[in-house]
Amino acid sequence: MNVQELLNRFREVAACPRAQMENYLKSGKKVVLTAPVYTPEEIIHSMGAVPFGAWGADIELNESKKYFPAFICSIMQSLLEIGIKGGYRGASAIVIPSLCDSLKVIGQNWKYAVPSIPFIPMTYPQNRKPDFGVAFTKAGYERVISDLGKATGLTFDDAALGSSIEVYNAHNAAMRELVGVLAAHPEVTNAQRSDIFKSAFFMLKEEHTELVRALIDALGAAEAGPAKTPIMTTGIIADAAGLTGILDDCGLQIVCDDVAAESRQYATDTPAEGETNLDRLALKFRNMDNCSVLYDQEKNRCKKIAADAKAAGAKGVLVILTKFCDPEEFDYPLIKKACDAEGIPVTVIEVDRQMVNYEQARTAIETFRDIL
Amino acid sequence: MYTLGIDIGSTTSKCVILEDGERIAGSSLLVGGIGTKGPAQSVEDVLRDASLTRADLSGIVATGYGRNKCTETDQQASELTCHALGAHMIFPEVRTIIDIGGQDAKCISLDAQGRMLSFLMNDKCAAGTGRFLDVMANILAIPVGELGDYAGRSVSPAAISSTCTVFAESEVISQLANETPMEDIVAGICMSVATRVSSLAKRMGVNPDVCMSGGVAQNSGVRHALEVSLGQPILFSPLAQLFGAIGAARLAWQKAGR
Repeated sequence: MNVQELLNRFREVAACPRAQMENYLKSGKKVVLTAPVYTPEEIIHSMGAVPFGAWGADIELNESKKYFPAFICSIMQSLLEIGIKGGYRGASAIVIPSLCDSLKVIGQNWKYAVPSIPFIPMTYPQNRKPDFGVAFTKAGYERVISDLGKATGLTFDDAALGSSIEVYNAHNAAMRELVGVLAAHPEVTNAQRSDIFKSAFFMLKEEHTELVRALIDALGAAEAGPAKTPIMTTGIIADAAGLTGILDDCGLQIVCDDVAAESRQYATDTPAEGETNLDRLALKFRNMDNCSVLYDQEKNRCKKIAADAKAAGAKGVLVILTKFCDPEEFDYPLIKKACDAEGIPVTVIEVDRQMVNYEQARTAIETFRDIL
Repeated sequence: MYTLGIDIGSTTSKCVILEDGERIAGSSLLVGGIGTKGPAQSVEDVLRDASLTRADLSGIVATGYGRNKCTETDQQASELTCHALGAHMIFPEVRTIIDIGGQDAKCISLDAQGRMLSFLMNDKCAAGTGRFLDVMANILAIPVGELGDYAGRSVSPAAISSTCTVFAESEVISQLANETPMEDIVAGICMSVATRVSSLAKRMGVNPDVCMSGGVAQNSGVRHALEVSLGQPILFSPLAQLFGAIGAARLAWQKAGR
């Protein structure tokens, strides 16, 4: 496939996850939903099921409002809305981690709102670095394995987990390499870039890696398009067509990101150390850093954003703040401070899953472009 | 060289024609913004005011909420960029601009050359905007243009919420029921807008000189309340509502090759 055909394929998957899920179900695979921000997908994969990202969607919210107040993360609300309306029918279970207050709430609501899809909690420790934190993480994974066995009838094998870890590490490496390759190809739009990341949630990672590797090769042989204004994005999600379209209209190019649904997913590999492969996976969570929902009293993430922007040649940092996301809001002043210290302009726009009018965001982004 | 700036807001349309990017050759301001006949009529009015025709214009830039719907030109710029240019032209020493328009509030930080350093916009919320004042003036049955005079006569401003227009509306009705003097209610309303907007400005950082732009700048009650809230004098120009259009005309002049 050439570059355009590959980008079309990513688009197809990103735009229609339900069709992708149906394909897996028809092939006899079990599908297990994985809620934001981090779930032990490797475990689900190793047991023979398809980990399927469930980050909500840009839809109108009605049914979920029975369970949530108005001022709560719309990713969670839309996730529940899709669940209630049957958009995830056929899934064997949903794994929801406990990484923020909204995620803790949805787990309890899910049990009553979507009883047909069993809820599996993944309770992570606040202090993930010390040995007791690693042991706590491992115990959480053991609970997930046990619940997955009940929900799917599939069994866990540590050796199979080792194979899945290799698949995921290879995907991480491909995605990290892709970011650099895309930065050198401004002709790939921000919307297309978003499709690549989004499609990763709806495909088996070995299949996605194959497509990403093919794209890296195809772009390597292609001539780079005219230069645009390079920027960095940060936030939880940045996949709304209305938003990426505005960035494209304004001649801005995302050359690196710190978006939870994008590069943050692929920043940390599972290490080689560890007595068993499950121990290795617990150590992966220990090693993870630089994310608003991962406790770090030094808030090194904020300085890293400024450093990454500088290293990638980004002329500015666009903070895409998901409405009512406390962890991200707490980090914003520190991100601004760190970028100010490096002389990197920062602007913030608020987004949620129910935006139909992006005019205010357009004004902010156009002005940001003028500043750059 | 004559250039035209068109500022199509949510409630009004403003036009300015600049001669050689400096002298105001004509201006117009009409009630009726995006989606109305206001923008087209405003263009007709400014041409008449400047005694010019379209053929005399070397460039046109549209700005404001309705900039992308403007049929007069295919050149647009964000209202923040244009307000910065316009304010800097009128007040070269200005470093902080507070722009309160019909449906939003914005704060802009400038350097000595008039370049934008940073900006902040309000949330999608009527509190702290011209719409808030419209709603309150409607409840009080006072023309919105007279709010400043009422506030100036206040002895003890009433406490009105700055969080939400709907809540504030209910509070104003309660104040009316308690027979609070109209002047004190209006002063409380102006203080409510000022509190909301000054929070936004303080988040960005306020450096003197500070000026106001946008339609709400005409309201002396809000201006004085902002001065109290920020602890800074606020520069005012009768042209404040035209800053966006002035900036657009200046940008058109720059694009036309000065």
